[in-house]
Amino acid sequence: MLHIKPIFSSLLHSKSGPLLLLLQIVLSVAIVANASFIIVERLSLMARESGIVENEVFDFSIYHFDKSTDLVVQDKRDLELLRAIPGVIDVAPSSMAPLSGGGWSSNFTLGPEERAKSTPNTGMYMSDEHFIDSLGLKLVEGRNFYPQEITTELLEDGGKMIVTKAFVDKVWPNDSALGKSVYMGAQHFVVIGVVERLQTAWVDNSNVEFSSVLSVNYPADYKRYLVRAKASDIARLKEVIPEILHKEYPSRVIEGFTTISERRIEAYRDHELMATVLTMMVVLLLLITSLGVTGMVMFNIQRRTKQIGTRRALGAKKRDIISYFLVENYLLCLLGGTLGVLLAIQLGQQLMSLYSLPMLALSYPLLTVVGLFVVTTLAVYLPARKAAKISPATATRTV
Amino acid sequence: MLSMKNISKVFKTDLVETHALRDFNLEVSEGEFVAVTGPSGSGKTTFLNIAGLLEGFTHGDYFLDGINVSNLSDNKSAAVRNEKIGFIFQGFNLIPDLNLAENIEVPLRYRGFSAKERNRRVEQALEQVGLAARMKHLPTQLSGGQQQRVAIARALAGEPRFLLADEPTGNLDSLMARQVMELLENINQAGTTIIMVTHDPELARRAQRNIQIVDGQVCDFTMYQANAARSASHGSVDKLVANAQG
Repeated sequence: MLHIKPIFSSLLHSKSGPLLLLLQIVLSVAIVANASFIIVERLSLMARESGIVENEVFDFSIYHFDKSTDLVVQDKRDLELLRAIPGVIDVAPSSMAPLSGGGWSSNFTLGPEERAKSTPNTGMYMSDEHFIDSLGLKLVEGRNFYPQEITTELLEDGGKMIVTKAFVDKVWPNDSALGKSVYMGAQHFVVIGVVERLQTAWVDNSNVEFSSVLSVNYPADYKRYLVRAKASDIARLKEVIPEILHKEYPSRVIEGFTTISERRIEAYRDHELMATVLTMMVVLLLLITSLGVTGMVMFNIQRRTKQIGTRRALGAKKRDIISYFLVENYLLCLLGGTLGVLLAIQLGQQLMSLYSLPMLALSYPLLTVVGLFVVTTLAVYLPARKAAKISPATATRTV
Repeated sequence: MLSMKNISKVFKTDLVETHALRDFNLEVSEGEFVAVTGPSGSGKTTFLNIAGLLEGFTHGDYFLDGINVSNLSDNKSAAVRNEKIGFIFQGFNLIPDLNLAENIEVPLRYRGFSAKERNRRVEQALEQVGLAARMKHLPTQLSGGQQQRVAIARALAGEPRFLLADEPTGNLDSLMARQVMELLENINQAGTTIIMVTHDPELARRAQRNIQIVDGQVCDFTMYQANAARSASHGSVDKLVANAQG
């Protein structure tokens, strides 16, 4: 049987201890709820798929420092050599590497005029017809580039473009993107295909899912390539590729072999660090709160030894003593939890305005309170069980 | 009402065995007012604890209100204590954080009475001890005598079959002690059996029957009185005890 009224009455008469614990609970709920929210946000960001077969794709760069090199010819020759290496599934040139944090992006307009409606800022991969297979992308609408559509410079007209489904949903919701025109200044592109997903180079950007692939393999002295191979072949290929390419043409630097999996780890390092630190903080806070509860219960047991003996003498069963301490701390949890939820929402709003975080979902403070009840139960039960073993004969002793 | 047959209580440590009670026999009839006296360390508190089912015993049989309570489980013991026994402690044992009404409610809540029934009993018990007007006061706002009256009200509220009083006036001055004693006598006259452990021979004399415990056994009171008279001339308590045992 729960004796809430006298327990509450007793709590009101011994203010300082419970008040401190109450304060601890309020702060814990507010901090744990917001920290958990941020952790889950970060983890969900980290869990997003890039659309790429990450463990099978790596990128590297070639820097030509010999200005006399015919970059178009050399690029063509390099691609032939790379595609012929045993173990290489496919290779594509690319203006940027996914998840790398650096590359090209632009807003497109939906008409030739400058004031035409604009798309969101979109990542721009410039590549050829091997791009989709090299990254393992899934084409969900339209077609891939034809080899003859690949140009070495941006044309005013006739450029082809493949975009992501997220881009289409944003720009042409409820409409097919195929055949649609987009403009980048004077250049005109026609959308010929849609891939299910392809993230840009910037994982922290809200437009990370808006990618475009342009049918341009432009010549450059700093050129990047994306190679797809079985994961088990990648280590070997990292050794073999520089050898072959240097043998073909030694006056250049070949560097930066990085798998997309490695790029993911690097891209999300800060997120992971923050999630780890916040998780440790949450665990620590819950531990401190549970220690606070345990300490308070143990102190109360010591202080009330004779009282517990008297209660037992007056007919309290062991479970009555255990439930007394549980109810006493549940009351503190309920009160502290309610105030903590309010503070958590307030704190969440502050964080939202200061750091552009999404709004704190109410489920987080509520789940934190539930978690707190579980922690409290664990923290109270053992000392309370010890208290229940206090002999009723204690009532007649001088303690 | 209460029947103890050959009760023994032995406290064991690695080195010694202490016989707190040995072959202890006692019969208390319904409606009696029995005073239990004895020197310090004689086993009075052990007797009280066993009689009140506050602790178990090593050997023997104990019947309370016709029920053999010798080997009850912890939960059963608690239920019997709650229903059949009212406790009055030397130090009152009121809960300082609870007001008088809430203090008296404590055993009633463990019995599972409804709020209405609890209120009725609390009011009735406080009226019985003359403190009905102060039910919202905290124990610390009362004098020692008043606190003991609240403890008596708490013991009475459950309408127990008998009251066990442990030095009920031990912490009170003589005036307060007299008032509390009168209250106990009134309660007894209303039909409640009372067993009172006391050091005070004057209080003991006011009971209907005196039991003397010496070295864990009930001492024959007539013999004790004779020994007491004799020892008075020798002035030796030790001798008195030795004679009583002899």
